[in-house]
Amino acid sequence: MRVLIIEDEPRLAENIGRSLRESAGYAVDIAPDGQEGLFMAESNEYDAILLDLMLPEMDGMQLLSRIRKAGQRTPVLVVTARDDKESVVSLLNAGADDYLTKPFDLGELLARTKALIRRGKGLPSPVLSIADLELNTVSRSVQRGGRPVVLTAMEYRVLEYLLHRPRAVVSKTELLEHLYDYNWEKFSNVIEVYISGLRRKLDNGSSKQLIHTIRGQGYILQE
Amino acid sequence: MGQTSIRRRLIAIVVLSQTLLAAGLLLTGIYYTEWRLLSTLDAAMQARAMSLAALVRYTEDASGDVYFDDSLLPPSIDPSHPDLFAVWTEKSGLLVHSRNWPKDLDISPAGKDHWRFKWAHVHYRGLRVFHVPVLDREEGASFHPQTLSVIYAAPLIQLDQQVNAAGVSIAAWSALLLAVTVLLALWGIRRGLLPLQQLADRAALVSSQDWELHAPKEAERTAELRPLLQSMTNMLARLERSFVQQKEFLGNAAHELKTPLAVVKSTLQSLLQRPRSAEEYQKGLEHSLEDLQRLEQLLQWMLRLARAEQWAHGALRRDLQVIDVTATCEEAVERARHLAAERGMTIRLAKNGQVPLRADPEDLQLVWSNLLENAVRYSPEGGTVDMNVATANGGPARVTVEDHGPGIPADELPHIFDRFYRADPSRNRATGGFGLGLAIAKALVEAYGGKITAQSTLGQGTRMTVELPTN
Repeated sequence: MRVLIIEDEPRLAENIGRSLRESAGYAVDIAPDGQEGLFMAESNEYDAILLDLMLPEMDGMQLLSRIRKAGQRTPVLVVTARDDKESVVSLLNAGADDYLTKPFDLGELLARTKALIRRGKGLPSPVLSIADLELNTVSRSVQRGGRPVVLTAMEYRVLEYLLHRPRAVVSKTELLEHLYDYNWEKFSNVIEVYISGLRRKLDNGSSKQLIHTIRGQGYILQE
Repeated sequence: MGQTSIRRRLIAIVVLSQTLLAAGLLLTGIYYTEWRLLSTLDAAMQARAMSLAALVRYTEDASGDVYFDDSLLPPSIDPSHPDLFAVWTEKSGLLVHSRNWPKDLDISPAGKDHWRFKWAHVHYRGLRVFHVPVLDREEGASFHPQTLSVIYAAPLIQLDQQVNAAGVSIAAWSALLLAVTVLLALWGIRRGLLPLQQLADRAALVSSQDWELHAPKEAERTAELRPLLQSMTNMLARLERSFVQQKEFLGNAAHELKTPLAVVKSTLQSLLQRPRSAEEYQKGLEHSLEDLQRLEQLLQWMLRLARAEQWAHGALRRDLQVIDVTATCEEAVERARHLAAERGMTIRLAKNGQVPLRADPEDLQLVWSNLLENAVRYSPEGGTVDMNVATANGGPARVTVEDHGPGIPADELPHIFDRFYRADPSRNRATGGFGLGLAIAKALVEAYGGKITAQSTLGQGTRMTVELPTN
């Protein structure tokens, strides 16, 4: 999962970013003002955007309506100092999916971000599953047929993403887009390494293969 | 409660004027009718009196005696109420009178030709005629004409009835007219005041959500309502402006206060999320302390602003000493020297002796410090800031602070005194400042009855001018 944080207070952005990386294993990009935030939201694929309302260059509300007008469906969690009913109503009407008022709880921010990402992909439950494979996004644990599977951080992130898009073909480029932040060099053969690692660990002892390769297109997670 | 009603007042005016008009009409009508009837009556009475005079005959001898020929008495004017008459001659006095002639009637009231009198419960109009009959006589016959005095009186029963009838009829028509007028006036006033009611209904819809007064077309077309409409629109615009400003201030204050709080909270929470190294803990605590200090500073600035504004609104009264404005400028320059030196800048102070003013020196120093800090902050490094303090004999104390920085665009100039306004669009917090300095300066200057203005030329610099009344 890859999240964009648009926040002009660098220390706050850094704290949120660190928390998302450490506790959820997300890739995080930070934009310090509205202009750059808009540019990044338009040029990259994000699974969620955390948006501060009061921003230099371009106001958060303006940015929100710009990306919604452009047809972006990425879930947006607004972080605001205003908690009066009017502002909340107007920002939800402008296309925000959820909001948090400052000063917020990092744990709550994390939980809301995860929920937004799931709902954005049509998955209401925090436990993602296909066949006898189960992934708990809260405890970040994986089981296959009731047997715990130990994954590396990157393998977990790949699997988590695939489980968010079950029975859909996911290309290597899409995986790269959603698993790495802006500062990473992206090499598609890295993905192949993680996929083969995942296959080995998940299919160990199971008769049914879950991750299938579609030649020239990508991967699909299905029974 | 002295409540008045336009409608009731207008109706009262209409009723009053209509009543006066009706009374006038009634009086005129009665007077005119009576006059017309009386002149007709007088003509008839005159004719009858002359007929009576003509019935006085002279005897054929030379005595000049007269007799009355009562064979041709004229009929009464009103057949049901007989007239009265009497004829006197110069020589023999009362010659003849009607059968009903009252003996004791005073027949010569002050020599009037016409008069009114009452006898046996009946009103009469009396007429006195003097007449000298001239007769055809043979030549040489002796003739001694006599002056006849005829009094003729007709009862006024019929005439009074007619006058009364006319009066009643005029009164009835007037009453009807009055009723119709009042109804018309009620309807007209109701219709006339309708736009006012509509306007009130629309005005009730104005709220903090929708400040626009959607005035009804009817009210806009009504000339009398236009000034009201205009002032309502202006008032709403002013209210909206101050409401929006207040709301913006609240939003800005919330943002400015909650953001450092959010930073501290998130720093501490992220420290607690997992075990950290001693270095990480130390760094987190240092950051938290920095942010808390900043928060404390901001709170101080906001309190200063609140105090200045409260004082500006006259909530505080202080006994103030006369102090020297120049000295406060020197002190402020001294305080700003450190910040200026950091940026390799110099502050030049041009002064011209003492400038006495009744003020708190701390307030003035705060104003000058804020202006100087701003000038230093928005000037290129190594430049100069010019401060000038002077007074023109008896005029206001005048202090200017001028920088040679990039200047402020004309569209931003009106906002620089707004609370939380930052000319620096990136709002880089590293440069310090909360956007409250100029707002505080303005509030303090206005508290002393002075004014603060800014002139700026792009690429040349900005000059802030403070004028404080010295008396």
